[in-house]
Amino acid sequence: MKRLVPTAEMTLGPFFPREFAQDAADLTRLEGRAVPGEPIEISGRVVQGDGAPVDNLVLEIWQAGPDGRHDNPAFLGWGRAATDAGGVYRFRTVLPGAPKGRLAHVSFCLLYSGLMRQLQTVMFFERGADPVLDAVPEKLRDRLIARKTGAGSYRFDIRLRGGDETPFFDD
Amino acid sequence: MATVIERRDPLTQSKGVEAGYAMTALRWPAQALLLRPLTAAELAGPPLSGGGVLRRLAPVRGDLAGHGEKRAIGQLIHLRARVVDEDGAPVRGAAVEIWHCNAAGKYIHPNDSHDAPADPNFYGAARMVADDDGMVELRTIKPGAYPVPDSGGWWRPPHVHFSVWGRAWLSRLVTQMFFPGEPLNERDAILNAVREPQARAQCIARLAPAGQGPENALVYEYQLVVRGRNASPELR
Repeated sequence: MKRLVPTAEMTLGPFFPREFAQDAADLTRLEGRAVPGEPIEISGRVVQGDGAPVDNLVLEIWQAGPDGRHDNPAFLGWGRAATDAGGVYRFRTVLPGAPKGRLAHVSFCLLYSGLMRQLQTVMFFERGADPVLDAVPEKLRDRLIARKTGAGSYRFDIRLRGGDETPFFDD
Repeated sequence: MATVIERRDPLTQSKGVEAGYAMTALRWPAQALLLRPLTAAELAGPPLSGGGVLRRLAPVRGDLAGHGEKRAIGQLIHLRARVVDEDGAPVRGAAVEIWHCNAAGKYIHPNDSHDAPADPNFYGAARMVADDDGMVELRTIKPGAYPVPDSGGWWRPPHVHFSVWGRAWLSRLVTQMFFPGEPLNERDAILNAVREPQARAQCIARLAPAGQGPENALVYEYQLVVRGRNASPELR
């Protein structure tokens, strides 16, 4: 069968409707009900090449439920948030379990004006053996480990370019 | 049914930093992107059959043009967009977000500083679900062109933004649809970031023969190809 060429990605642009990024950052509830698992908060600050924070960048996440599975109908491991004027984003979710053969992790997709393609990265909770973390040069791996800032609170800062740039993946 | 994601031809995608689009040099990573093995986590996604991301995002407005005294200014158009995978199979249940500016080139957005009039009857944002044929149909008006601030005379051609989910996390597609025959298409830094001509042509909608649309609207047809093929045993 002939393979079609996937449509080219293009920038989200500066005018992504604000309403589209509202009310989608809380994964602890689904269709009005609380989901099983240990509630946590993941937040961070996103900066660009000159170190300035970025406003209205869209982050989408994808994670397993507490059982390490992606197909549990009682949990939807997808959410969306946007940064504020200070570059800060915030998700409420539950601590993911480790999928088979992987460390527990949260996948991030970043969409923004000036990003002609989505940027993919992954947040881990600790170091360890993981085929995706192992694909990152040793000296950069710590940049993908969230910092625990309190009970159930994790911080994951992202730098798009320059300095301690976050490692991103090409798929 | 497992999804297979194959690598893309780089010429069919932007390389990241584009000379004609200054902001890309401030935001696209300076380091090369890393290759990683794809595991079940990247090849799964919110199950479309269970509602997918629409369990968290509500559908909004399949009609942006309005009616009668509330009709938005501009040429009435129907956008018929079809979501398919790389096998050409329709992706039923795919969520599709669409947004665009009004006929004068102004977005309903606090960050839009362009000195063009707002249209009280136009709000340019819709979220829909692809039917069994992978189709969504949006009744709207044709968007205008507008200048990009501080760009030395870059005008964006009329375009419509699309955000689409497929079966896998890596099928996520955010793109822009262009209109055929627009002179500004030739110079647009975003459209022309796609260097392979056929892939670039894929980003331009096709005008259906006149007289096919409801209310005599112009009909534009467009196909969105999201990443992924089905790994059925016959194909392996």
